[in-house]
Amino acid sequence: MPLTHRGREILERVPGGTLRSTAGVGCEIVRHEELCVGCGKCATNCPSGASERGDSFDVNQLLDAPADSRRGALGAALRRLMRHEPDGPVEVPERVTVYRTIVYDDERCLGCGTCARGCPAEAIEARPPKADAAPGVAPATTAGAAAAGAAVGA
Amino acid sequence: MLAAPTPDAGDRKIVAFCCRECAYAAADASANARTPLPTTVRLVLMPCTGRVSPLHLLSALAEGADGVMVAGCLLGQCHYREGNFNAVDRVAFVQRLLKSVGVEPERCRMFTMSAGEPPKFVAAVREMDRAIVALPPLPRSAPDGRGVAAGAPVAVGGAA
Repeated sequence: MPLTHRGREILERVPGGTLRSTAGVGCEIVRHEELCVGCGKCATNCPSGASERGDSFDVNQLLDAPADSRRGALGAALRRLMRHEPDGPVEVPERVTVYRTIVYDDERCLGCGTCARGCPAEAIEARPPKADAAPGVAPATTAGAAAAGAAVGA
Repeated sequence: MLAAPTPDAGDRKIVAFCCRECAYAAADASANARTPLPTTVRLVLMPCTGRVSPLHLLSALAEGADGVMVAGCLLGQCHYREGNFNAVDRVAFVQRLLKSVGVEPERCRMFTMSAGEPPKFVAAVREMDRAIVALPPLPRSAPDGRGVAAGAPVAVGGAA
């Protein structure tokens, strides 16, 4: 199970050297775009700013959404009316709280899963790291800790 | 609510989503006073304009309406405090969506009035009716159709 880049970085900095638990970090974040309603709750809850809620919305996200999804229903109606391809992203008024583009930055993600717990549409899944993934992480962590210990001892 | 048909209205339709607290009451009062309304308009009773979602507005247009209007309370006088502010922003959002795909944004409009202003309701409906009758019928493609709406004016489609 791959840890996110940032999650691994954090684990390597865990003081004490041994990795006891990966709870809280290192989850794999799987985003189901087709279920997303664009409310931005993930961005509000995100401790590291990996998710950001945009003020604009790409109309293609409606048009390309699966027909049985929330966005897809709106997209299907819009598709019947459209005379040409969308001009570009539209600005979303403040009180329209959904239909927003969420920008997710993998590099800044801690893998904590807070976004998944807070997602009202259950569009984000946080898969905990598997037990057999731990050995892959632990040596690096202990090696880092050993190096740190050596540095302290020197 | 009988009225002489607008001369060249054709079979154009306007769906008016009316707030129960104000616009629908105003419509009721105007009907009691036997004020003629344009025959294009169909009223839909909503508990508050805050209940109107972009999906209501776009679905109405996609399923046969040539225009949709949202009639709610005066800003600041919503029975539910701020439902009509939500409606104003949603209407603006729908207008931007329509504009981005080449549909006239004035096909979706928001009006505000109080329950005690039937003439204002009638004026709003007539204004909407005039605007929609002045526009060509709204072309739309089949439900599963992809791409450009059938019968879309070439000039409009090519303008993008």
